[in-house]
This record gives sequence, C-alpha cells and structure tokens, in this order.
Amino acid sequence: MDKIVRNHINVKSMRRKHLQDVFVKNLFKVMALLSSSVIILIILFILMKGSAPFIPNYKYGTISLPNFLFGTVWRQDAGIYGVGFIVINTILSAFGALLLSFPISVLTALFIVKVAPRKVASVMRTIVELLASIPSVVYGVFAAGTIVAFVRIIGSAMGIVTAGGNSMMAVIMLLAIMIFPTITSLSISAIEAVDPDLELASLALGATETQTHFKVVLSSAKSGIFAGAILGLGRAFGEATAVSMVAGNKLFGPTFNLLDITRTLTSTMLAGLKETTGLDYDIRYSVGIVLMATILISNLLLNYIKNRIGNKV
Amino acid sequence: MKVTETMIKKRKVKDRVLQTVTLISSSISVMILIMLFFFIFQKGAGSLSFKLLTDDYWAKNYLLDIPSVQTGTYVKPANLPSASFWSVKYGFAVTDALSHEKQKLILIEYIDPASPLAKMTDASSGPNFGKAQLISVGMQIHKIGYVDINGDTRSAGTIADQNAKTLVDTLDSSALTLNQAYIKTTGGGIRGSIVSTFYLILISLLLAVPIGIMTAIYLNEYAKYNRFTPWLRSSIEMLTGVPSITYGLMGMVVLYPVTALFKASGTSILLGGLTLSVILLPTVIRSTEEALKVVPDNFRDASLSLGANQAQTIFRIVLPSAIPGILSAILLSLGRIIGESAALIYTMGTFVNDSPTVLTGGTSLAVHIWSLMSGEQPNFALASAISIIILIIVLILNISVKLLSGRLRKTWQ
Repeated sequence: MDKIVRNHINVKSMRRKHLQDVFVKNLFKVMALLSSSVIILIILFILMKGSAPFIPNYKYGTISLPNFLFGTVWRQDAGIYGVGFIVINTILSAFGALLLSFPISVLTALFIVKVAPRKVASVMRTIVELLASIPSVVYGVFAAGTIVAFVRIIGSAMGIVTAGGNSMMAVIMLLAIMIFPTITSLSISAIEAVDPDLELASLALGATETQTHFKVVLSSAKSGIFAGAILGLGRAFGEATAVSMVAGNKLFGPTFNLLDITRTLTSTMLAGLKETTGLDYDIRYSVGIVLMATILISNLLLNYIKNRIGNKV
Repeated sequence: MKVTETMIKKRKVKDRVLQTVTLISSSISVMILIMLFFFIFQKGAGSLSFKLLTDDYWAKNYLLDIPSVQTGTYVKPANLPSASFWSVKYGFAVTDALSHEKQKLILIEYIDPASPLAKMTDASSGPNFGKAQLISVGMQIHKIGYVDINGDTRSAGTIADQNAKTLVDTLDSSALTLNQAYIKTTGGGIRGSIVSTFYLILISLLLAVPIGIMTAIYLNEYAKYNRFTPWLRSSIEMLTGVPSITYGLMGMVVLYPVTALFKASGTSILLGGLTLSVILLPTVIRSTEEALKVVPDNFRDASLSLGANQAQTIFRIVLPSAIPGILSAILLSLGRIIGESAALIYTMGTFVNDSPTVLTGGTSLAVHIWSLMSGEQPNFALASAISIIILIIVLILNISVKLLSGRLRKTWQ
C-alpha cells in the first residue's frame, strides 16, 4: 500500500482526517436522531403518565375512564374530574375564533398582496409580523384589561350580569386576535404563489381586477389558505396562559351562552397548579392527551375538507 | 349580450365595495395593534422606572428595637431635597412616595450617623436577634412606636395613615422616646425575574443552538435521499405543532430525571431551560437549514475538489456562509424564550424568586406577568410595565431579524 502513495503524502494525517470526517458525520447523525426522537418521547411519556389514573391499582385511587371522558363536572376540591364538557367548550371557542378570524385574515392577506400600494403593503406586513411576535401573556394582559371590559359593557347593555366580563365571548375574541397573524401570513404566501398567468387569463377575458382577485386568485390559493386555517386552529386549541386569564373556569356543563364563563382544556391544565404529585397533578397529563387528540382529530377533519374542496378546482 | 352603461357602472360599484371590504379588514389588525400598545403603555408607563429593574419583588421586613439613648438636637444637612421633612429631635429625613401599586409610602431620605435610627437592633427572634441592623436610604417606614407624655405607647408611620410631614411632626412634638420600628424595603421590582430570564436564555441557547445546527447540517449536507430521511424531517416538523403547554408536561416527566442528576428538586430554572431548548429546536433547525440551502453548491464543489473532506468543507466553507441565517435563528429563539409562559409555568413554577440560581425555581419575565395576573387581585400596572419591556425587546429582535434576512438574501445575488 505504502509504495503506491507518493512521498509527500502523509498517510497518517490522511487517516486522521478521514477518522475526523467519520466522527463528525456520526456526531451530526446522532444529534439529528436525538432531535427527531423528541416527539416520540413526548407522546410516549405523556401517554404513559396520562393513562395511569385509569389503570387499576393506581396509587391515588383509580378513576373510571368513561366518567372522565364524558363527565360534565370538574371539581378539583371534590376530586370529580369530567373532561367531556371541557372538550365541547374548547372546540366551540376554537372554531368560534376561527370563524371570526378567518374572513378578516384572508381579506387582509388579499389586501396586502394585491390591493394595497407597495408602501402600505410593506407597513401592513410589518404589522402582521409584529402581531405574530407578541407573546401570549401580553395578549392576556391586554384581553384581561380591554376585551373583558368590552364584554362587560355588552352584557350590561343586554341586562345580563357577566362574571366581570370573563366569558366565552372574551375567549373567542382573544383567540381570534391571536390566530389572525398565523392565518394571514400563510394566506399571504398562498396568494403570492398563485400563477400570474391565471390572473392574466382572467383579465383577458374581461374580468376586472377585483373580480379576478376574488374569483380567481382566492380560489386558486384555496389549499394554502386552508393550511393557514388549520395552523391557526392548532394555535387556538393550544393557547394556554392568555385564555386562562379570561376564561373564568366554570365548574360544570358545556357552555353555549357566549356571555357565560367557560373552561378550556388548557385553562384546566393551568388552574390551581400547586403540587407536583398526586391525582390532581397526574390528571393534567390525561387532559393533555385529550388536548392532543382533539387537535389531531380536528386537523384530520379539516384536512379531509381541504382535500374535498381542493379536488373540485 | 350588449354591455350597457349601467352594467359597467354596477360592476364598478361592486368592485369598489369589495376593495373597501379588504381595506376595512386589514385596518382591523392595525386598530388592534394600536389598541394593544396604547393599553399596555397607558397602564404600565407609570410604573416603569430604572428602580423597577433593580429592585427585589418581595418587600423585606425588619422589626427593629431603637436604642434608649435618644437625646439631642440634630442639624439638618444643607443638601436635602426640598420635598423631604427633617426630624430635629431624632435626626432623620423622610419623603412621601408612591409604590408600584400606587400605595402611599414614607421613604427614608437621610439618617444622621448619631441618630437613634442609625443604631437599631433586630427585634425579631432568630439568629439575628439583638444584632445591629443597618437600615438604608430608600427603605419605607411602616411603623415607628413611641411613648408619649402620658406614658402610652403609640404608633406613627403609614400604619397610622400618616405621611412624611405628619410623621415628623408627631414624633418631634409628642414623642418622648421611640421604642420600636417596623421598616420595609419597597419591593415590587423585577430584578429576580430578569436574572432568571438571563439564566434561561443561556441554558436553552447553549443546548438548542449546537444540537439544532448539527441536525440541520446532517439533514442538509449528509442525509441521503432514502425513505428514512423524510421521517426525520417530519418528526421534527411535528414539534412545531405541539402546544407549548404540552412541552411543560413533557419537561416534568422526561427532563426532570435529568435535572435530578444535578440535584435540583422540583421545578427549577435548569428544567425550564432544558424544556425551552426542546421548544426552540424546530425553529433553529429550520432557520439554519434555510440558510444552508442558499449556500451555492459551487462552494462545496470547489472545496471538495481542492482536497478538503466533507467535515472540513462544512466547517470552513458552508457554516461561515450560513452565519447570518444562524444568527437570525438565535434572534428568533430569543423572542420565543422571552415570550414563553405555559411550558415554564409547569417547569419553573410561578413563585417570583428574588435570588434565583440555576437549580432553584424562578420566574422569567413572562411568567412573572402570569403570576401577577393569576392572583385574586390582578396587578395591571406592574404586569403592563413588564409587558412594555417584553414588547420593546421583541420589537428590537424583530427588526434585527428583518435586517439580517435582508442581508442574507443579498449575499448570494
């Protein structure tokens, strides 16, 4: 072997260089495996800990799974944990927020990309980015000061006494504000990606610019816009601290009255967090599983709808 | 079909209406942003001061015995501010002030070295009992007990609804001797939370940035196009969709054993930092990968053809070219760390800690806001003041990211 190598090539240093290369590659591979296994760890451990209260011989007293899933009362003090009504409340408030935010977000995106002059558009883009970067606690402080007061005023105008303004309506408005930047920025990229030839074709057929924007651009950007809605919905489901500040944490029954206080899965997980052992702590993991399942199911549902709508074009 | 004048007009009107609708929708977001800033600044600006940043959150209380030798008249120093009141008999000056919660306070402005207040001893039982306790300028006088001419013990200070002037007047006119003082530091500051936030930033960036960059390099430079790689990618992608409160749960079960190795018990800043580093991973990975993608392949080819191996090419050629992208990943992460609350409530606790260490609990600025707002009486003033600080930091980070990404785009054009 040595004989074929030229004299000025140092075999030893070459070998070292090669080993170094292999080492670096494997190190990076290990790190990549580590980063991608985190999600599995999360799911696995939360499933394990969250299912513990329903398994016989659980050390703090087993509770029955059907009672947990379909219960309509949640009282930490009495040890009654029923998550059924909370799921309904969570879904109502998240979809309510989506309903409120979706049209505004899409129209804003359309305005930014197609309607507004370039300078206005860049200012608007910055505003959307700013709204996206404001932390949720700050939104919480804002909501607890203004939205809640607004709801209180509406309530008293209708002759209803609200719980200081904490209500489902406040939750919906807060979430609508918080998911607005998510949906808008995804809609912006979707609208930007629309083939300009399509627009030109529409214009050539005699449609006005505005008609083109609404009928051609929006419908061809449909799937991207829907992806934004799905992401926004995920954020609405998972938002915790801000929602807890305005939800009011009702103890029972699904809330259908907009002005009544409510309780969401996340606000339940944060409420009265003190000790880190016992049933009251472990049950939060069960609520966490329910939260993840709710997000997953509604994502699948929306994806299904998205594909159905997408196929028609 | 013939196009009539009225049809064209109708169409024009319809277009106008639709255009206006888009304008109105987008002005809603502007309004919300303005309202938010207005509300936060209006509530918080009054509490915002330099003292806020350096003060402890919890007031320290001292119950102190005043020595019995108290005779003498004291000369008022010349350089006292005009708003302060001087006690000739006991040799100290006080001023009025308002706390962060808008409560009236009497603050010590000056104490004569010979004054009885300068030689007080600790009166609360414990290891410090009987030891001299120096009180300093800026502490508040909650109560000073005195004996009046009739031999009755009375109280002066904020406890008796007095202000600086009436306190000094009462003591100078009707007190024969002073016996006990109840002194408090003002508190209400956020120094502890700022320190905790720095620890948090340090720990989570130290972990997330190297691991994230290595993962991104593996995915972009090494990974082959096989069936396995998309799985890696999508399982990392899935992390972005996980709600942050779930990370909190994860931290307590998965990462707690890790912190237990370092002898941390229960919630700790270390645990919060570890949890945050997981939250940051997808951001760092994606942002770094995007930066790596725009490095032209010519660079890699040139380096490899000159005899460098892949590791050398990555470290000497690819990474330096991707530095702006990595920097913007760090800035984005900073924003996330400063804003994160739900996951940290689980892993760091909500107790505001004035002297945090890595292994004890503490609150980041965001969690501090949460603990102010989740009590029975939400403290809007202080919460908004902290919000202003967070908003300013986030604003600066956002602008920097924008400038950086602008530079990144320019580099290869």
